[in-house]
Amino acid sequence: MLHSMLSGAVAMAWLACALFFLRFWRQSHDRLFAFFALSFAVLGVNSVVAALIDAQDERRYYIYVARLVAFLIILYAIWDKNRASRRG
Amino acid sequence: MAEAVYILCALTSIACAVLLLRAWKRSQSRLLLWSGLCFVGMAVSNTLLFIDLVVLPTTIDLYVPRQLATLASASILLYGLIWDAS
Repeated sequence: MLHSMLSGAVAMAWLACALFFLRFWRQSHDRLFAFFALSFAVLGVNSVVAALIDAQDERRYYIYVARLVAFLIILYAIWDKNRASRRG
Repeated sequence: MAEAVYILCALTSIACAVLLLRAWKRSQSRLLLWSGLCFVGMAVSNTLLFIDLVVLPTTIDLYVPRQLATLASASILLYGLIWDAS
C-alpha cells in the first residue's frame, strides 16, 4: 500500500515537472526546456511502470536503464545549451 | 550488467547535479538551483539503489528510503517551478 502510494506520488510529481518544462519550452522555444520535459516525462512513466511490474519480474532491470536514459538526456541538454551559448 | 547500470545511474545523476549547480553559480538563475538540488536528491536515491541492490544482502530492503529520496527530489523541483519560475 505504502509502496504504491509512494510510486504514484513520485510519478505525479515528475509528470507535473514535465508539464511545467513543456510550458516553458512553448513560451521560449529554448530546446533545453524540451529536453528537460522529455527527461521528466520518461522518469514519470518509469515510475508508473515500476509500480505495475512485479518485484520478481526480470524485466525490472530495464526500469533502471530507462532512468539512465533520462539522466543522459539531461546531460545532453546541458552540453547542447553550453555549446549554443559559446557559439553566441 | 545490472550493477553497471546502477553505478551509471548514480554517476550520471551526480554529473547532472554538478553541472546544473555550476551553471546556477554562473547565471544565478533560480530554476537551475532547483534543478540542481533535485539532482542532488536523485544522486542520493541512486547511491541508495546501488547500496540496496548490490552491497547489502537481500534481507535488508531500502525501497522506502529510496522512494522517499526520489519523492523529495521531485517535490523540491516542483516547489521551485511553482514559486520561482514565471
